[in-house]
Amino acid sequence: MLKMFIESLKNLVSEPETIKYPFEPSPEPKGYRGTIHYNEELCIFCDKCENICPPGAIKFVVVDYETGKKEYNYNPYLCIYCGACVRECPKADEGCLVQVETRTPPLGRSVPKGKELGYFINRIDNPKEVESKWREIEELNIKTKEEYKAYKKAKRAQKAAAKAKGEE
Amino acid sequence: MGKIVVPFGSQHVALPEPISFLFDTENEIITKVEAHIGYVHRGIEKAAITRFEYNQLPYLTARVCGLCSITHAGAVVHGIEKLMDIEVNKRIDYLRMLVVELDRIHSHMLANGHVAEVVGYENLFMQTFRAREDVMDVLERITGNRVQYDYQTIGGVARDIDLETAEFAKKKLKKLKENVLKVMEFHDSDYTFGLKTKGVGVISKEMAAKYNTAGPIARASGLETDVRAEFDYLPFEEVGYKMQTRKEGDVWARNMVRFDEVLNSIEMCENILDNLPQGEHQVKVKGRPKGETVVRVEAPRGECFYYLKASGKKVMDRVRIRVPTYANIPILKELFLGAKYSDAQAIVLSFDPCMSCTAR
Ligand code: SF4
Ligand code: SF4
Repeated sequence: MLKMFIESLKNLVSEPETIKYPFEPSPEPKGYRGTIHYNEELCIFCDKCENICPPGAIKFVVVDYETGKKEYNYNPYLCIYCGACVRECPKADEGCLVQVETRTPPLGRSVPKGKELGYFINRIDNPKEVESKWREIEELNIKTKEEYKAYKKAKRAQKAAAKAKGEE
Repeated sequence: MGKIVVPFGSQHVALPEPISFLFDTENEIITKVEAHIGYVHRGIEKAAITRFEYNQLPYLTARVCGLCSITHAGAVVHGIEKLMDIEVNKRIDYLRMLVVELDRIHSHMLANGHVAEVVGYENLFMQTFRAREDVMDVLERITGNRVQYDYQTIGGVARDIDLETAEFAKKKLKKLKENVLKVMEFHDSDYTFGLKTKGVGVISKEMAAKYNTAGPIARASGLETDVRAEFDYLPFEEVGYKMQTRKEGDVWARNMVRFDEVLNSIEMCENILDNLPQGEHQVKVKGRPKGETVVRVEAPRGECFYYLKASGKKVMDRVRIRVPTYANIPILKELFLGAKYSDAQAIVLSFDPCMSCTAR
Protein backbone atom coordinates (compact mmCIF):
# COMPACT_ATOMS: atom_id res chain seq x y z
CA MET A 1 0.00 0.00 0.00
CA LEU A 2 2.67 2.45 1.07
CA LYS A 3 4.86 1.41 -1.83
CA MET A 4 2.08 2.02 -4.32
CA PHE A 5 1.51 5.42 -2.74
CA ILE A 6 5.17 6.34 -3.15
CA GLU A 7 5.03 5.05 -6.71
CA SER A 8 2.02 7.26 -7.42
CA LEU A 9 3.80 10.30 -5.99
CA LYS A 10 6.78 9.55 -8.19
CA ASN A 11 4.52 9.38 -11.20
CA LEU A 12 3.19 12.82 -10.42
CA VAL A 13 6.55 14.38 -11.04
CA SER A 14 8.02 12.02 -13.65
CA GLU A 15 8.08 12.59 -17.39
CA PRO A 16 4.89 11.69 -19.29
CA GLU A 17 4.95 8.43 -21.21
CA THR A 18 2.54 9.57 -23.88
CA ILE A 19 2.84 11.90 -26.85
CA LYS A 20 0.30 14.69 -27.25
CA TYR A 21 -0.63 13.59 -30.73
CA PRO A 22 -2.09 15.30 -32.88
CA PHE A 23 -0.68 18.48 -31.29
CA GLU A 24 2.77 17.03 -31.40
CA PRO A 25 4.12 14.86 -34.18
CA SER A 26 4.27 11.13 -33.60
CA PRO A 27 7.33 10.04 -35.54
CA GLU A 28 7.60 6.62 -37.10
CA PRO A 29 10.11 4.37 -35.35
CA LYS A 30 13.13 3.06 -37.15
CA GLY A 31 12.33 0.28 -39.58
CA TYR A 32 8.65 1.16 -39.78
CA ARG A 33 6.72 -0.56 -42.54
CA GLY A 34 5.26 2.32 -44.51
CA THR A 35 4.10 3.16 -48.01
CA ILE A 36 5.13 1.11 -51.03
CA HIS A 37 7.05 3.12 -53.64
CA TYR A 38 7.31 2.00 -57.22
CA ASN A 39 9.68 2.81 -60.04
CA GLU A 40 8.26 2.08 -63.44
CA GLU A 41 11.56 2.25 -65.31
CA LEU A 42 12.93 -0.74 -63.44
CA CYS A 43 9.81 -2.88 -63.54
CA ILE A 44 9.78 -5.98 -65.74
CA PHE A 45 6.01 -6.46 -65.35
CA CYS A 46 6.22 -9.97 -63.99
CA ASP A 47 3.02 -9.48 -61.96
CA LYS A 48 4.51 -11.22 -58.95
CA CYS A 49 3.61 -8.37 -56.64
CA GLU A 50 0.03 -8.41 -57.85
CA ASN A 51 -0.29 -12.14 -57.29
CA ILE A 52 1.04 -12.18 -53.74
CA CYS A 53 -0.72 -9.10 -52.41
CA PRO A 54 -3.21 -10.45 -49.85
CA PRO A 55 -5.85 -7.69 -50.04
CA GLY A 56 -5.26 -7.07 -53.74
CA ALA A 57 -3.94 -3.54 -53.39
CA ILE A 58 -1.77 -3.76 -56.50
CA LYS A 59 -3.51 -4.16 -59.83
CA PHE A 60 -2.00 -3.96 -63.28
CA VAL A 61 -4.15 -2.77 -66.15
CA VAL A 62 -3.10 -3.42 -69.72
CA VAL A 63 -3.51 -0.17 -71.61
CA ASP A 64 -2.10 -1.04 -75.00
CA TYR A 65 -2.57 -4.50 -76.47
CA GLU A 66 -0.21 -3.76 -79.34
CA THR A 67 2.83 -3.23 -77.12
CA GLY A 68 1.49 -4.96 -74.01
CA LYS A 69 2.07 -1.87 -71.89
CA LYS A 70 0.75 -2.18 -68.36
CA GLU A 71 -0.02 0.44 -65.79
CA TYR A 72 0.72 -0.10 -62.12
CA ASN A 73 -2.16 0.82 -59.84
CA TYR A 74 -1.65 0.89 -56.11
CA ASN A 75 -4.27 1.66 -53.51
CA PRO A 76 -2.51 2.79 -50.32
CA TYR A 77 -5.82 2.74 -48.48
CA LEU A 78 -6.37 -0.93 -49.13
CA CYS A 79 -2.77 -1.94 -48.53
CA ILE A 80 -2.06 -3.68 -45.23
CA TYR A 81 1.65 -2.77 -45.42
CA CYS A 82 2.75 -6.36 -45.04
CA GLY A 83 5.67 -5.93 -47.41
CA ALA A 84 5.03 -9.22 -49.20
CA CYS A 85 5.16 -7.52 -52.61
CA VAL A 86 8.64 -6.17 -51.93
CA ARG A 87 9.85 -9.60 -50.85
CA GLU A 88 8.46 -11.14 -54.05
CA CYS A 89 9.73 -8.51 -56.47
CA PRO A 90 12.76 -9.76 -58.43
CA LYS A 91 13.91 -6.17 -58.98
CA ALA A 92 13.42 -4.98 -55.42
CA ASP A 93 17.16 -4.78 -54.75
CA GLU A 94 17.52 -2.27 -57.56
CA GLY A 95 14.71 -0.18 -56.11
CA CYS A 96 11.77 -1.12 -58.28
CA LEU A 97 9.50 -1.72 -55.33
CA VAL A 98 10.50 -0.42 -51.91
CA GLN A 99 8.77 -0.03 -48.61
CA VAL A 100 9.67 3.35 -47.15
CA GLU A 101 9.64 4.17 -43.47
CA THR A 102 6.97 6.86 -43.56
CA ARG A 103 3.24 6.33 -43.21
CA THR A 104 0.73 7.19 -45.86
CA PRO A 105 -1.20 10.22 -44.53
CA PRO A 106 -4.75 9.33 -43.48
CA LEU A 107 -7.39 9.91 -46.11
CA GLY A 108 -8.73 13.34 -45.25
CA ARG A 109 -9.67 16.18 -47.55
CA SER A 110 -6.95 15.50 -50.07
CA VAL A 111 -5.30 12.49 -51.64
CA PRO A 112 -1.53 12.03 -51.58
CA LYS A 113 0.19 12.50 -54.90
CA GLY A 114 3.46 11.35 -56.32
CA LYS A 115 4.83 9.44 -59.26
CA GLU A 116 6.08 6.69 -56.97
CA LEU A 117 2.52 5.85 -55.90
CA GLY A 118 1.51 4.59 -59.30
CA TYR A 119 -1.23 5.70 -61.67
CA PHE A 120 -4.36 5.11 -59.64
CA ILE A 121 -4.07 7.64 -56.82
CA ASN A 122 -2.63 10.35 -59.07
CA ARG A 123 -5.77 10.32 -61.21
CA ILE A 124 -8.09 10.97 -58.27
CA ASP A 125 -8.76 14.34 -56.71
CA ASN A 126 -11.77 13.67 -54.55
CA PRO A 127 -10.98 11.39 -51.59
CA LYS A 128 -14.56 10.13 -51.60
CA GLU A 129 -13.97 8.55 -54.98
CA VAL A 130 -11.13 6.30 -53.94
CA GLU A 131 -13.35 3.34 -53.20
CA SER A 132 -15.57 3.47 -56.27
CA LYS A 133 -12.69 4.20 -58.62
CA TRP A 134 -10.74 1.29 -57.18
CA ARG A 135 -13.64 -1.03 -57.94
CA GLU A 136 -13.43 0.11 -61.54
CA ILE A 137 -9.73 -0.66 -61.57
CA GLU A 138 -10.38 -4.14 -60.22
CA GLU A 139 -12.88 -4.79 -62.99
CA LEU A 140 -10.53 -3.34 -65.60
CA ASN A 141 -7.74 -5.51 -64.27
CA ILE A 142 -9.71 -8.69 -64.94
CA LYS A 143 -11.20 -7.47 -68.22
CA THR A 144 -8.03 -6.18 -69.85
CA LYS A 145 -6.07 -9.24 -68.81
CA GLU A 146 -8.58 -11.54 -70.45
CA GLU A 147 -8.76 -9.40 -73.56
CA TYR A 148 -5.00 -9.20 -73.78
CA LYS A 149 -4.79 -12.98 -73.53
CA ALA A 150 -7.37 -13.39 -76.28
CA TYR A 151 -5.54 -10.79 -78.37
CA LYS A 152 -2.25 -12.62 -78.04
CA LYS A 153 -3.91 -15.90 -78.90
CA ALA A 154 -5.46 -14.42 -82.01
CA LYS A 155 -2.12 -12.90 -82.95
CA ARG A 156 -0.43 -16.28 -82.60
CA ALA A 157 -3.09 -17.96 -84.67
CA GLN A 158 -2.64 -15.30 -87.35
CA LYS A 159 1.07 -15.82 -87.40
CA ALA A 160 0.70 -19.58 -87.65
CA ALA A 161 -1.76 -19.18 -90.50
CA ALA A 162 0.61 -16.84 -92.31
CA LYS A 163 3.43 -19.28 -91.78
CA ALA A 164 1.34 -22.16 -93.09
CA LYS A 165 0.47 -20.08 -96.13
CA GLY A 166 4.11 -19.28 -96.74
CA GLU A 167 5.03 -22.92 -96.67
CA GLU A 168 2.46 -23.89 -99.25
CA MET B 1 -36.42 -12.89 -3.28
CA GLY B 2 -37.18 -13.77 -6.87
CA LYS B 3 -34.97 -14.60 -9.76
CA ILE B 4 -33.38 -11.70 -11.62
CA VAL B 5 -31.80 -12.08 -15.02
CA VAL B 6 -28.74 -9.89 -15.48
CA PRO B 7 -27.28 -9.50 -18.93
CA PHE B 8 -23.50 -9.14 -19.04
CA GLY B 9 -22.34 -8.12 -22.48
CA SER B 10 -22.26 -8.14 -25.39
CA GLN B 11 -21.17 -4.56 -24.73
CA HIS B 12 -19.92 -4.03 -21.23
CA VAL B 13 -17.29 -1.75 -19.73
CA ALA B 14 -15.37 -4.69 -18.34
CA LEU B 15 -15.25 -6.56 -21.62
CA PRO B 16 -12.56 -5.84 -24.16
CA GLU B 17 -14.39 -7.90 -26.74
CA PRO B 18 -18.02 -8.82 -27.34
CA ILE B 19 -19.27 -11.90 -25.56
CA SER B 20 -22.62 -12.10 -23.89
CA PHE B 21 -23.62 -13.89 -20.71
CA LEU B 22 -27.11 -14.08 -19.33
CA PHE B 23 -26.95 -14.64 -15.59
CA ASP B 24 -29.91 -15.87 -13.59
CA THR B 25 -29.22 -14.50 -10.15
CA GLU B 26 -30.85 -15.08 -6.82
CA ASN B 27 -29.77 -12.69 -4.14
CA GLU B 28 -26.51 -11.83 -5.93
CA ILE B 29 -25.67 -15.50 -6.37
CA ILE B 30 -25.56 -16.80 -9.92
CA THR B 31 -27.73 -19.84 -10.42
CA LYS B 32 -27.72 -20.29 -14.17
CA VAL B 33 -25.68 -18.92 -17.02
CA GLU B 34 -26.02 -18.82 -20.75
CA ALA B 35 -23.17 -17.77 -23.04
CA HIS B 36 -23.22 -16.48 -26.60
CA ILE B 37 -19.90 -16.18 -28.34
CA GLY B 38 -20.37 -15.58 -32.04
CA TYR B 39 -20.46 -11.79 -32.25
CA VAL B 40 -17.31 -11.26 -34.23
CA HIS B 41 -17.55 -14.04 -36.76
CA ARG B 42 -15.79 -12.99 -39.95
CA GLY B 43 -15.69 -16.23 -41.88
CA ILE B 44 -11.94 -16.50 -41.95
CA GLU B 45 -11.89 -20.28 -42.32
CA LYS B 46 -14.05 -20.00 -45.41
CA ALA B 47 -12.01 -17.14 -46.83
CA ALA B 48 -8.89 -19.23 -46.34
CA ILE B 49 -10.18 -21.89 -48.72
CA THR B 50 -11.79 -19.66 -51.29
CA ARG B 51 -10.32 -16.20 -51.68
CA PHE B 52 -6.75 -16.64 -50.55
CA GLU B 53 -3.89 -18.69 -51.87
CA TYR B 54 -1.67 -20.71 -49.60
CA ASN B 55 1.15 -18.15 -49.61
CA GLN B 56 -1.24 -15.42 -48.51
CA LEU B 57 -2.59 -17.43 -45.59
CA PRO B 58 -0.07 -16.20 -43.00
CA TYR B 59 -1.28 -12.66 -43.61
CA LEU B 60 -4.90 -13.72 -43.41
CA THR B 61 -4.66 -15.81 -40.25
CA ALA B 62 -2.62 -13.10 -38.58
CA ARG B 63 -5.84 -11.14 -38.67
CA VAL B 64 -7.79 -13.74 -36.73
CA CYS B 65 -6.74 -11.93 -33.59
CA GLY B 66 -4.87 -8.76 -32.80
CA LEU B 67 -3.19 -10.10 -29.70
CA CYS B 68 -1.85 -13.40 -30.92
CA SER B 69 -1.38 -12.55 -34.57
CA ILE B 70 2.11 -14.01 -34.33
CA THR B 71 0.77 -17.30 -33.02
CA HIS B 72 -1.75 -17.73 -35.80
CA ALA B 73 0.63 -16.76 -38.56
CA GLY B 74 3.28 -19.02 -37.02
CA ALA B 75 0.93 -21.97 -36.82
CA VAL B 76 -0.16 -21.78 -40.41
CA VAL B 77 3.40 -21.20 -41.60
CA HIS B 78 4.57 -24.22 -39.64
CA GLY B 79 1.80 -26.37 -41.09
CA ILE B 80 2.42 -25.30 -44.69
CA GLU B 81 6.14 -25.85 -44.28
CA LYS B 82 5.40 -29.36 -43.09
CA LEU B 83 3.25 -29.96 -46.13
CA MET B 84 5.91 -28.60 -48.48
CA ASP B 85 8.82 -30.36 -46.74
CA ILE B 86 10.70 -27.17 -46.04
CA GLU B 87 13.46 -27.28 -43.47
CA VAL B 88 14.31 -23.92 -41.97
CA ASN B 89 17.61 -23.12 -40.38
CA LYS B 90 18.36 -22.43 -36.73
CA ARG B 91 18.42 -18.68 -37.10
CA ILE B 92 14.89 -18.61 -38.44
CA ASP B 93 13.75 -20.84 -35.59
CA TYR B 94 15.33 -18.53 -33.07
CA LEU B 95 13.91 -15.38 -34.59
CA ARG B 96 10.48 -16.96 -34.66
CA MET B 97 10.81 -17.99 -31.06
CA LEU B 98 11.82 -14.46 -30.16
CA VAL B 99 8.68 -12.90 -31.58
CA VAL B 100 6.46 -15.67 -30.21
CA GLU B 101 7.74 -15.01 -26.71
CA LEU B 102 7.51 -11.24 -27.05
CA ASP B 103 3.95 -11.74 -28.20
CA ARG B 104 3.26 -13.81 -25.11
CA ILE B 105 4.69 -11.12 -22.88
CA HIS B 106 2.53 -8.35 -24.25
CA SER B 107 -0.59 -10.49 -24.27
CA HIS B 108 -0.12 -11.57 -20.66
CA MET B 109 0.56 -8.02 -19.55
CA LEU B 110 -2.65 -6.92 -21.21
CA ALA B 111 -4.64 -9.68 -19.52
CA ASN B 112 -3.25 -8.88 -16.10
CA GLY B 113 -3.90 -5.21 -16.61
CA HIS B 114 -7.53 -5.91 -17.43
CA VAL B 115 -7.98 -8.05 -14.34
CA ALA B 116 -6.52 -5.25 -12.22
CA GLU B 117 -8.94 -2.83 -13.79
CA VAL B 118 -12.09 -4.84 -13.14
CA VAL B 119 -11.24 -5.48 -9.52
CA GLY B 120 -11.04 -1.73 -9.07
CA TYR B 121 -7.39 -0.89 -9.52
CA GLU B 122 -7.39 1.57 -12.35
CA ASN B 123 -3.96 2.73 -11.31
CA LEU B 124 -2.45 -0.74 -11.42
CA PHE B 125 -3.99 -1.20 -14.84
CA MET B 126 -2.20 1.91 -16.04
CA GLN B 127 1.09 0.82 -14.52
CA THR B 128 0.84 -2.58 -16.17
CA PHE B 129 0.04 -1.08 -19.53
CA ARG B 130 2.81 1.42 -19.22
CA ALA B 131 5.26 -1.39 -18.63
CA ARG B 132 3.74 -3.27 -21.54
CA GLU B 133 4.55 -0.41 -23.87
CA ASP B 134 8.21 -1.40 -23.75
CA VAL B 135 7.60 -4.79 -25.26
CA MET B 136 5.33 -3.25 -27.88
CA ASP B 137 8.20 -0.96 -28.83
CA VAL B 138 10.53 -3.92 -29.16
CA LEU B 139 8.09 -5.78 -31.39
CA GLU B 140 7.52 -2.68 -33.46
CA ARG B 141 11.23 -2.25 -33.94
CA ILE B 142 11.79 -5.90 -34.88
CA THR B 143 8.82 -6.40 -37.17
CA GLY B 144 7.97 -2.87 -38.31
CA ASN B 145 4.45 -2.60 -37.01
CA ARG B 146 2.62 -2.48 -33.73
CA VAL B 147 -0.22 -4.95 -33.98
CA GLN B 148 -0.12 -6.71 -37.30
CA TYR B 149 3.39 -8.01 -37.30
CA ASP B 150 3.35 -10.14 -40.48
CA TYR B 151 6.72 -11.45 -39.47
CA GLN B 152 6.66 -15.16 -40.21
CA THR B 153 6.50 -16.02 -43.88
CA ILE B 154 6.65 -19.39 -45.56
CA GLY B 155 10.31 -20.34 -45.54
CA GLY B 156 11.57 -17.79 -43.07
CA VAL B 157 10.92 -14.48 -41.45
CA ALA B 158 10.23 -11.14 -43.08
CA ARG B 159 13.40 -9.41 -42.00
CA ASP B 160 16.57 -10.03 -40.13
CA ILE B 161 17.49 -8.43 -36.85
CA ASP B 162 20.49 -6.14 -36.67
CA LEU B 163 22.82 -5.48 -33.77
CA GLU B 164 21.32 -2.13 -32.95
CA THR B 165 17.83 -3.58 -32.69
CA ALA B 166 19.09 -6.42 -30.52
CA GLU B 167 20.71 -3.93 -28.15
CA PHE B 168 17.54 -1.86 -28.08
CA ALA B 169 15.49 -4.96 -27.28
CA LYS B 170 17.83 -6.03 -24.50
CA LYS B 171 17.68 -2.61 -22.89
CA LYS B 172 13.90 -2.48 -23.05
CA LEU B 173 13.53 -6.03 -21.73
CA LYS B 174 15.68 -5.19 -18.75
CA LYS B 175 13.48 -2.23 -17.93
CA LEU B 176 10.40 -4.35 -18.43
CA LYS B 177 11.67 -6.96 -16.03
CA GLU B 178 12.10 -4.38 -13.27
CA ASN B 179 8.61 -3.08 -13.85
CA VAL B 180 7.09 -6.56 -13.89
CA LEU B 181 8.76 -7.40 -10.59
CA LYS B 182 7.35 -4.22 -9.11
CA VAL B 183 3.81 -4.98 -10.22
CA MET B 184 4.18 -8.59 -9.14
CA GLU B 185 5.21 -7.57 -5.67
CA PHE B 186 2.12 -5.47 -5.42
CA HIS B 187 0.00 -8.45 -6.44
CA ASP B 188 1.71 -10.44 -3.75
CA SER B 189 1.45 -8.01 -0.89
CA ASP B 190 -1.65 -5.89 -1.29
CA TYR B 191 -4.40 -6.87 1.11
CA THR B 192 -7.39 -5.40 -0.72
CA PHE B 193 -6.28 -6.78 -4.04
CA GLY B 194 -6.07 -10.17 -2.35
CA LEU B 195 -9.62 -9.87 -1.04
CA LYS B 196 -10.90 -9.33 -4.55
CA THR B 197 -8.89 -12.06 -6.22
CA LYS B 198 -7.74 -14.73 -3.78
CA GLY B 199 -10.16 -17.61 -3.43
CA VAL B 200 -12.35 -16.24 -6.23
CA GLY B 201 -13.27 -18.56 -9.07
CA VAL B 202 -11.24 -21.50 -7.83
CA ILE B 203 -10.56 -24.35 -10.24
CA SER B 204 -9.16 -27.50 -8.69
CA LYS B 205 -6.64 -29.60 -10.52
CA GLU B 206 -9.19 -32.37 -11.04
CA MET B 207 -11.70 -29.93 -12.45
CA ALA B 208 -9.10 -28.46 -14.78
CA ALA B 209 -8.24 -31.91 -16.07
CA LYS B 210 -11.87 -32.98 -16.40
CA TYR B 211 -12.88 -29.93 -18.43
CA ASN B 212 -9.74 -30.03 -20.52
CA THR B 213 -8.73 -26.48 -19.81
CA ALA B 214 -5.80 -25.00 -21.66
CA GLY B 215 -2.99 -22.60 -21.09
CA PRO B 216 -2.35 -20.44 -18.04
CA ILE B 217 -5.79 -21.30 -16.64
CA ALA B 218 -4.82 -24.96 -16.39
CA ARG B 219 -1.33 -24.19 -15.16
CA ALA B 220 -2.67 -21.93 -12.43
CA SER B 221 -4.44 -25.00 -11.06
CA GLY B 222 -1.29 -27.07 -11.10
CA LEU B 223 -2.08 -28.98 -14.26
CA GLU B 224 1.10 -29.39 -16.24
CA THR B 225 0.10 -28.76 -19.80
CA ASP B 226 1.97 -26.63 -22.27
CA VAL B 227 2.33 -27.27 -25.97
CA ARG B 228 5.80 -25.80 -25.90
CA ALA B 229 6.85 -28.84 -23.92
CA GLU B 230 4.66 -31.37 -25.71
CA PHE B 231 4.94 -30.56 -29.42
CA ASP B 232 8.30 -29.76 -30.93
CA TYR B 233 7.60 -26.97 -33.35
CA LEU B 234 10.34 -24.71 -32.08
CA PRO B 235 13.30 -25.57 -29.82
CA PHE B 236 12.01 -23.82 -26.70
CA GLU B 237 13.96 -26.00 -24.26
CA GLU B 238 17.26 -24.81 -25.77
CA VAL B 239 16.65 -21.24 -24.73
CA GLY B 240 15.58 -21.88 -21.18
CA TYR B 241 11.90 -22.64 -21.27
CA LYS B 242 10.48 -23.79 -17.94
CA MET B 243 6.91 -24.81 -17.23
CA GLN B 244 5.29 -22.39 -14.79
CA THR B 245 2.58 -23.67 -12.48
CA ARG B 246 0.77 -22.49 -9.37
CA LYS B 247 -1.48 -24.47 -7.09
CA GLU B 248 -4.22 -22.11 -5.93
CA GLY B 249 -6.28 -22.05 -9.12
CA ASP B 250 -8.01 -18.74 -8.35
CA VAL B 251 -8.05 -15.40 -10.12
CA TRP B 252 -4.92 -14.35 -8.30
CA ALA B 253 -3.01 -17.48 -9.27
CA ARG B 254 -3.95 -17.06 -12.90
CA ASN B 255 -2.48 -13.57 -12.84
CA MET B 256 0.62 -14.78 -11.08
CA VAL B 257 1.15 -17.66 -13.50
CA ARG B 258 1.01 -15.17 -16.31
CA PHE B 259 3.58 -12.98 -14.59
CA ASP B 260 5.79 -16.01 -13.99
CA GLU B 261 5.56 -16.78 -17.67
CA VAL B 262 6.38 -13.19 -18.57
CA LEU B 263 9.54 -13.46 -16.50
CA ASN B 264 10.42 -16.78 -18.09
CA SER B 265 9.77 -15.35 -21.55
CA ILE B 266 11.97 -12.35 -20.85
CA GLU B 267 14.73 -14.74 -19.86
CA MET B 268 14.20 -16.75 -23.03
CA CYS B 269 14.26 -13.63 -25.20
CA GLU B 270 17.50 -12.50 -23.61
CA ASN B 271 19.00 -15.92 -24.23
CA ILE B 272 17.90 -15.81 -27.84
CA LEU B 273 19.32 -12.35 -28.38
CA ASP B 274 22.62 -13.39 -26.86
CA ASN B 275 22.93 -16.65 -28.79
CA LEU B 276 21.52 -15.95 -32.23
CA PRO B 277 22.91 -18.55 -34.63
CA GLN B 278 24.31 -17.39 -37.96
CA GLY B 279 22.43 -17.95 -41.17
CA GLU B 280 20.03 -16.54 -43.70
CA HIS B 281 16.62 -15.34 -42.64
CA GLN B 282 14.92 -16.93 -45.63
CA VAL B 283 15.29 -20.35 -47.22
CA LYS B 284 14.37 -21.32 -50.77
CA VAL B 285 10.77 -22.39 -51.25
CA LYS B 286 9.60 -24.62 -54.07
CA GLY B 287 6.42 -26.45 -54.94
CA ARG B 288 2.95 -26.43 -53.50
CA PRO B 289 1.57 -27.85 -50.26
CA LYS B 290 0.13 -31.34 -50.48
CA GLY B 291 -1.36 -33.68 -47.91
CA GLU B 292 -2.85 -33.05 -44.53
CA THR B 293 -1.38 -32.17 -41.19
CA VAL B 294 -2.16 -30.88 -37.74
CA VAL B 295 -0.27 -28.21 -35.86
CA ARG B 296 -0.41 -27.42 -32.19
CA VAL B 297 1.13 -24.24 -30.91
CA GLU B 298 1.04 -22.59 -27.54
CA ALA B 299 -0.79 -19.32 -27.92
CA PRO B 300 -0.63 -16.92 -24.97
CA ARG B 301 -4.01 -18.31 -23.89
CA GLY B 302 -3.22 -21.97 -24.33
CA GLU B 303 -3.20 -24.58 -27.00
CA CYS B 304 -4.06 -23.38 -30.48
CA PHE B 305 -4.82 -26.13 -32.95
CA TYR B 306 -4.66 -26.02 -36.73
CA TYR B 307 -5.76 -28.63 -39.20
CA LEU B 308 -4.59 -28.08 -42.77
CA LYS B 309 -5.39 -30.03 -45.89
CA ALA B 310 -4.11 -29.33 -49.37
CA SER B 311 -3.97 -31.17 -52.66
CA GLY B 312 -1.19 -29.44 -54.56
CA LYS B 313 -3.38 -26.56 -55.66
CA LYS B 314 -2.88 -22.89 -54.95
CA VAL B 315 -5.89 -22.78 -52.67
CA MET B 316 -6.01 -25.08 -49.66
CA ASP B 317 -8.80 -27.61 -49.19
CA ARG B 318 -9.40 -27.03 -45.53
CA VAL B 319 -8.10 -24.76 -42.81
CA ARG B 320 -9.55 -25.49 -39.41
CA ILE B 321 -8.66 -23.41 -36.39
CA ARG B 322 -9.47 -24.24 -32.80
CA VAL B 323 -8.42 -21.64 -30.31
CA PRO B 324 -7.74 -21.89 -26.57
CA THR B 325 -10.57 -19.64 -25.42
CA TYR B 326 -13.06 -22.00 -26.98
CA ALA B 327 -11.65 -24.85 -24.91
CA ASN B 328 -11.95 -22.79 -21.75
CA ILE B 329 -15.57 -21.75 -22.05
CA PRO B 330 -17.14 -24.92 -20.54
CA ILE B 331 -15.25 -24.51 -17.29
CA LEU B 332 -15.99 -20.81 -17.28
CA LYS B 333 -19.70 -21.56 -17.25
CA GLU B 334 -19.21 -24.07 -14.45
CA LEU B 335 -17.29 -21.53 -12.38
CA PHE B 336 -20.06 -18.97 -12.46
CA LEU B 337 -22.57 -21.22 -10.74
CA GLY B 338 -22.64 -20.31 -7.10
CA ALA B 339 -20.34 -17.32 -7.53
CA LYS B 340 -21.33 -13.80 -6.62
CA TYR B 341 -22.34 -11.57 -9.48
CA SER B 342 -19.85 -8.96 -8.35
CA ASP B 343 -17.05 -11.47 -8.95
CA ALA B 344 -18.22 -12.37 -12.43
CA GLN B 345 -16.15 -9.68 -14.12
CA ALA B 346 -12.96 -10.72 -12.44
CA ILE B 347 -13.58 -14.35 -13.30
CA VAL B 348 -14.24 -13.65 -16.97
CA LEU B 349 -11.27 -11.36 -17.33
CA SER B 350 -8.94 -13.72 -15.49
CA PHE B 351 -9.62 -16.19 -18.28
CA ASP B 352 -8.25 -13.65 -20.70
CA PRO B 353 -10.98 -14.45 -23.20
CA CYS B 354 -10.25 -13.72 -26.83
CA MET B 355 -13.52 -13.60 -28.66
CA SER B 356 -12.27 -12.66 -32.08
CA CYS B 357 -10.19 -15.84 -32.02
CA THR B 358 -13.12 -17.90 -30.85
CA ALA B 359 -15.61 -16.62 -33.39
CA ARG B 360 -13.00 -16.14 -36.15
S1 SF4 C 1 2.53 -4.20 -48.68
FE1 SF4 C 1 1.23 -6.04 -48.73
S2 SF4 C 1 -0.84 -5.22 -48.96
FE2 SF4 C 1 0.56 -3.55 -49.49
S3 SF4 C 1 0.76 -3.69 -51.69
FE3 SF4 C 1 2.44 -4.89 -50.82
S4 SF4 C 1 1.65 -7.00 -50.70
FE4 SF4 C 1 -0.10 -5.63 -51.03
S1 SF4 D 1 7.17 -7.73 -58.78
FE1 SF4 D 1 8.50 -5.96 -59.18
S2 SF4 D 1 9.21 -6.27 -61.29
FE2 SF4 D 1 7.47 -7.65 -61.00
S3 SF4 D 1 5.71 -6.46 -61.71
FE3 SF4 D 1 5.85 -6.10 -59.51
S4 SF4 D 1 7.08 -4.23 -59.35
FE4 SF4 D 1 7.38 -5.01 -61.42
